[in-house]
Amino acid sequence: MSITPETANQHKNDPAVVCCLTQEGTIISPADLEDPAIFPDLEDSGLLKIPENVLTIGQVLGKKLLKTVDALTPLTPDLIEGGLEETKPEVISENVSAEAKATPNVTSTGNVIKIHIEEGKGINLEIPAIMTAAGGTERAAEQPERKEEIEKPKIEDRVKRTLLMREFDVKEVRLGDETSFENGILTIRKTLAQDALKADPLAKKMEIDIITPDNKNVFTNTIMDVIPIATKVEGSIGEGITHVLSGAVVILTGVDESGVQVHEFGSCEGIIGEKVRFGRPGCPDENDIMIRIHVTIQAGTGMERRGPYAAHKVCDAVIQEIREVLKKKDASEAARVIEYKDIERLGRPRVVIVKEIMGQGAMHDNVILPKEPAGVFGGRPNVDLGNIPVVLSPNEVRDGGIHALTCIGPASKENTRHYFREPLVNLVAEDEEVNLVGVVFVGSPQVNDEKFYVSERLGALIEAMGVDGAIVTTEGFGNNHIDFASHIEQIGKRGIPVVGVTYAAYQGQLIVGNKYMDAMIELNKDPNGMESEILGDNTLTREDAERALAMLKAKMAGVEIKPAPKKWDQSVIERNQKLVKKA
Amino acid sequence: MDHTFKIPLQQHIGAPCKPVVNVGDRVKRGQLIAAPEKLGANIHASVSGTVNAITDEFIEIEPDKEQTEDYVPIKETSSIIEAIKEAGIVGMGGAGFPTHVKMDVDLQGGVVIANGVECEPLLNHNVRQMEEEPEKIYKGIKYAMEATNASRAYIAIKAKNKKAVEAMKSVIDDPRIEVREMPDIYPMGEERALVREILGMLLKPDQLPTAAKAVISNVETLSRICEAVEERKPVISKNVTVIGRLKSGRQAHVFFDVPIGTPITELINKAGGIEGEFGEIIMGGPFTGKAVDLDSVVTKTTGGIIITDPLPREKRKVGLLVCGCGANEARLREVAEKMGACVAGVERCKQVVDVRGGIKCENPGNCPGQAEKILKLKKKGAEALIVGTCSDCTNTVMGVAPKLKMPVYHHTDHVLRTVGHPLVRRLKK
Repeated sequence: MSITPETANQHKNDPAVVCCLTQEGTIISPADLEDPAIFPDLEDSGLLKIPENVLTIGQVLGKKLLKTVDALTPLTPDLIEGGLEETKPEVISENVSAEAKATPNVTSTGNVIKIHIEEGKGINLEIPAIMTAAGGTERAAEQPERKEEIEKPKIEDRVKRTLLMREFDVKEVRLGDETSFENGILTIRKTLAQDALKADPLAKKMEIDIITPDNKNVFTNTIMDVIPIATKVEGSIGEGITHVLSGAVVILTGVDESGVQVHEFGSCEGIIGEKVRFGRPGCPDENDIMIRIHVTIQAGTGMERRGPYAAHKVCDAVIQEIREVLKKKDASEAARVIEYKDIERLGRPRVVIVKEIMGQGAMHDNVILPKEPAGVFGGRPNVDLGNIPVVLSPNEVRDGGIHALTCIGPASKENTRHYFREPLVNLVAEDEEVNLVGVVFVGSPQVNDEKFYVSERLGALIEAMGVDGAIVTTEGFGNNHIDFASHIEQIGKRGIPVVGVTYAAYQGQLIVGNKYMDAMIELNKDPNGMESEILGDNTLTREDAERALAMLKAKMAGVEIKPAPKKWDQSVIERNQKLVKKA
Repeated sequence: MDHTFKIPLQQHIGAPCKPVVNVGDRVKRGQLIAAPEKLGANIHASVSGTVNAITDEFIEIEPDKEQTEDYVPIKETSSIIEAIKEAGIVGMGGAGFPTHVKMDVDLQGGVVIANGVECEPLLNHNVRQMEEEPEKIYKGIKYAMEATNASRAYIAIKAKNKKAVEAMKSVIDDPRIEVREMPDIYPMGEERALVREILGMLLKPDQLPTAAKAVISNVETLSRICEAVEERKPVISKNVTVIGRLKSGRQAHVFFDVPIGTPITELINKAGGIEGEFGEIIMGGPFTGKAVDLDSVVTKTTGGIIITDPLPREKRKVGLLVCGCGANEARLREVAEKMGACVAGVERCKQVVDVRGGIKCENPGNCPGQAEKILKLKKKGAEALIVGTCSDCTNTVMGVAPKLKMPVYHHTDHVLRTVGHPLVRRLKK
């Protein structure tokens, strides 16, 4: 529909598309242009495909059309007289490169990547998009001012605590008479499979076997977790020294005595080579040796809290014996030493990461801060804590402070190894432009009243933290989106810029929404936007983290955020990723 | 003559006239037989004969066997407006607004636009009259200018009608009057479209051309003004185009000075008679004409009589797109029903506005975009479309619907197809 001058002004940065057959020589006026509000519908129906070099409404108004075009033709520079001279033919890329040039030279809060991000409301998907020429000029004008501001506060890094992580390479894993780790060969005592069951009477049987990277064509039952083998040598979780095995991880699988998969309804049993997205933060890497611990729990307890928890406990008992030998390894044998620091970056915007974790009970639970990295013993399940928010330091997260009872819907769930290698925590902690003050874990309860109870507590906590920005992530989709949306609202309504990160795509479309959900990152990686039942498929990766942080910086800098298209569109994500990469 | 003349008491916008004769009266051709009590125009006998019936709707005259060319002249008047009023002139382009009311304005040097656009396809009597009687029309323009105190006049004719353009140009002897050639699109002859094209001013749908200091009058109406002033002749006849499914072929038959009240069957027979099965009898043009029965008669506003082919059958659910310049909802529903199609939904073009009981377009002939409406119809379950859109809006529809795999019918399709006229579809670039 043709639009009014007022509408044209509101949408001056949106693509210009003629609403009707428009004759050569026409001086473009609002009456010739289609209303951008219906573009999503038009795109859905295949009536409109907007090319990358489309001009904006602001660019075409008053310009002369060079040839007669059909209804719903996007206006590109070749159609507009003088279009190439006065406007940049590739608005998007040119602005990005301009930003990219500035980025390496300045380390300041003003140094933002300029992105227009798309918003979603209600069931809409919310994903990032493109930047515009107008946005670029606005920023240029603001920049000097911002520089002055940032020269005043003291820029200083204060190290709060340090964690040394020594990695020991595993070349081979065997089952044998004694548990040992010598010369890269890890031997696990066979009889441990019996002894470990003492940790919980509900665990009836355990089998341990080794899956080597060259033999992924084996059947697996539901994968309940992927667990790194790590142990404290000095200090407690988050500081001191940790030893960790690299090249081998534990895969916990489970059924009950009647043969029912512990994760019935959305399990990932099948051929392991096909059911695991190798290389995701929470998955085994392509060349990892998998130590498979298969636990059979008492019939019918899979959907109760105690059943899955028993499996995790007995598995942890096995790992504990390995930890005991790992603890004693000499530092000189470590292949690598990684130093993680919790740093107070004074003078930079205070940022918090909020991670919503499952808390509905049964396998929807997480053990917070166990004694050993990624362990179970000594930790408190978030369900027991009433799912209220708990703050961890970035180092505590990276040191295995969360043991996840990975729940059903494996493609979008974060397991223990995911938290151990959490890409968003790592990225934001390393970024010198922001001051990551902490990582808040908030459980997602089953009942709506409880959801809002914990969400309100989260809002109060964030307010007290005095942050300048927040990123809220979640795992899974559907039910948990209710409190996920509420968390964003609680933060947003306190005037704090907030970015949401979730899998939604096609199958997990947001069922709720509010006006603060205007900067969203989509985690989907499935071509059809589905929960693919491949472990870790749609979980947060380094790329997702980069987009999320870039979006938060943009939002904190006051950059206008573009609404998302109505329907999930993976190309938007790809476009944003390109922008981030270039910057 | 083997038929009577039923002369309708309402052939104009306003209220029906009141008969001033009684049953059994002898009336002469040109004699006043009904006069308006409210808004309306005088009605005169179009033949000499005997009044054999008077109803609420018409006066029926049994014609004398012998008819003469003479008529009862209208009474002497002191002004052009008075003559127009006496002669019972109404807008003969189809609207039927009483001309003495329309022309009773002081344009203070404004403009008279003679409407010879004849923008409805198939109709030809305006163009033919301009070709054959340019002087009469030209004189009518001058009288209209005088009556309205206009200082300029334009004669709007489609550029494609070269002969009519030349004929009108050949009689102009006044530099204040000129021919304006118009593009061949519908609805170029709509009053506000003409004002916009010629005077560059877009009137609101409820504004009359006088808001732009203009009066627009159909060329035949202007010729009747000339007849009234110079020949003292009342409106007792009408120029009519008959076309369609005729035994004589598919070309247009133009009849000048058909007596008002003549049954349309009489004209159809004169044009060769209906050939085989037909779909509709349309009185008026393909865009805005109405389907009528065969017992209808010619009135002061009858322009075309079109006999169409049978309508196609459509089993799919249809969506109707109403246009302020073309078909209204009732007409589209009628077409859908005659096609046997079930109506899934109705949408109005964004520019449709309700004005005085009818619909008009905010900006005639300039499409505001139809994609959203078509999507809405599709969502309502429409699998095909019946549209009543003008040329420009049809361009948009044809740029959208085929991509949605929705077949499009224009409500004029069966009319135009009858005579092999190009259908209203996408205009060539």
